[in-house]
Amino acid sequence: MELFFFQLLNGLGLGVIYFLLSVGLTITFGLLNFVNFAHGAFYMVGAYVTFVIVSLTGNFWLALLIAPLVIGTLAIALEQSVVKFSYVLEHKYQILVTLGVALMLQELVIMIWGPIGKNVSPPSSLAGIIEIGDFIYPKYRAFVIAFSALIAIVVWWGLEKTKFGALVRAGSENAQMVGLLGVNITRLFSITFGLGGLLAGLAGVLAAPLRGADPFMGVEALGIAFIVVVIGGMGSFLGALVGGLVVGVMQSVMSSVWPEGASLMVYAAMAAVILSRPRGLFGRA
Amino acid sequence: MSLELKHCPILIAIALAAFLVLPSISLATEVLIFAIIALGCSILLGYAGLLSFGQAIFFGLGAYVASLSQIHLGVNFLVGLLIATAAGATVAALVGALAIRRQGIYFVMLTLAFTQLAFFVSYTLDEWTGGDNGLLDVPRNSVDIFGFEIAIDSSEKFYAFVAISFVLIFLGMIRITHSQFGRTLLAIKQNEERATALGYSVKWYKVLAFIFSGSITAYAGGMYALFLNFAPLSNVELIMSEHILIMAIIGGTGNVYGAVLGSLFLVVVGDMLSAFWERWLFLLGGILILTVFYMRGGLISGLYGVFEFLSQKFGSASTQKES
Repeated sequence: MELFFFQLLNGLGLGVIYFLLSVGLTITFGLLNFVNFAHGAFYMVGAYVTFVIVSLTGNFWLALLIAPLVIGTLAIALEQSVVKFSYVLEHKYQILVTLGVALMLQELVIMIWGPIGKNVSPPSSLAGIIEIGDFIYPKYRAFVIAFSALIAIVVWWGLEKTKFGALVRAGSENAQMVGLLGVNITRLFSITFGLGGLLAGLAGVLAAPLRGADPFMGVEALGIAFIVVVIGGMGSFLGALVGGLVVGVMQSVMSSVWPEGASLMVYAAMAAVILSRPRGLFGRA
Repeated sequence: MSLELKHCPILIAIALAAFLVLPSISLATEVLIFAIIALGCSILLGYAGLLSFGQAIFFGLGAYVASLSQIHLGVNFLVGLLIATAAGATVAALVGALAIRRQGIYFVMLTLAFTQLAFFVSYTLDEWTGGDNGLLDVPRNSVDIFGFEIAIDSSEKFYAFVAISFVLIFLGMIRITHSQFGRTLLAIKQNEERATALGYSVKWYKVLAFIFSGSITAYAGGMYALFLNFAPLSNVELIMSEHILIMAIIGGTGNVYGAVLGSLFLVVVGDMLSAFWERWLFLLGGILILTVFYMRGGLISGLYGVFEFLSQKFGSASTQKES
């Protein structure tokens, strides 16, 4: 029972990271109707920027502050230089363009830091464990859960309660109409794309002390993000949250029962959801 | 037969030229094998308009089945390849029939999920596939016909076998793409609703395209395992699907010779560049982006552009156009 609870908590920790990873993907899809195969690369570069900052300054908190901003800037730069020219193209060409971007980022990272992964240690203040009665849990993982929950609330607030969020939601309904109402829609697009990248980068920062940084984590993360977005429903904030938690808990609990089966199951779930209910749990039809 | 008469010499010339011009016989073998694989992708993308991340399933399956049937059933290499082809056709029918139930991005996602499933299944069944280490010591059991033994025990003999397969498969696919079937696929790609309204069973055409694509990819995957004497797990990775796609697109889809150019480009340029610059895939990503933006028809359309320019310039009526 205790082990199960431990795995459940681990799953929650994984799940909130998956949420941060996926929420940008799902919102850019909702708003721009755009499929970004380079999204996983933002997560990976986020982990590497964390590695650099931590190994230079030894300060994880600095990385937590700066790395997401770096990735957000990178995302906006890519949007301005490459991605925005593919909005007019068919989905399959958008996929190919962003696939090219992902490949370039991955190879660039290997050129700079080599193909072998790097370890990132958690901040010393979060190094130990928490004891609640008999139950012990790593401090850093508890921090990840709490911090991500906070970010999730901020993102929800931003989408639901601010003017920017209202524009994003309106744009998801009908981008052309929002443009006609005098909103600078191209700027809205690039800011949203940048924020999506920023959140994926943040997921990379939080994941770095847990799993290190390696060049191929982006591809893996992209697969996970697609599963989450598909299960939750494309374009849905709530879908990304619930989908992320479901996938995280499923993987974590399965990994203690049947490790190889964990990934098998989530991809089978993804295929089953697309076939039986393509709009996912919370997506619009 | 005129179609075959026209293309047969070109294909034989390509196979001979690859043998004579390329620096090593193993490079030439690889170019022809991947040309078949790129062709499999081109049939789906260029003719049926289906962007699939599922080609690695058929590639890996072909490699495993051709190897395992030789190891466990003791069949000769030719029968092994035929069993692999049949397995490829069967799985492609299944994957295709499921995937085409959704369109656009959902179709892409389904093929992606199926590839990941195939990967983790292969990884889990390590008693059969060797898991992470791959399937080692893949034999090339010789064919025995009435006491005549045909063995492909040298790299020259193996190249000859691959070249014959290459010519026959390309001729077959040229025949199919020029048939009513190929024309209908193009019609579906251009306007699916119109094709449906005209009474074509769009689903069957798409599944058939999957079957053709999957079977030749599995055959080529089997040959690749025989070539390496090894069937690595990386055959079924998503990255393999991506590479196959990139190969087909850079070469140019919708034209069978685009597949040859794509394979030639990736295998040969990759081989040359990786010798002194391991991270040449960086360049490949850039080329993919440029191809989508500026040369959607791929290298083959560029080549035709040059031909047309030359024929206009010199006013000769005998254009070299080969379509």
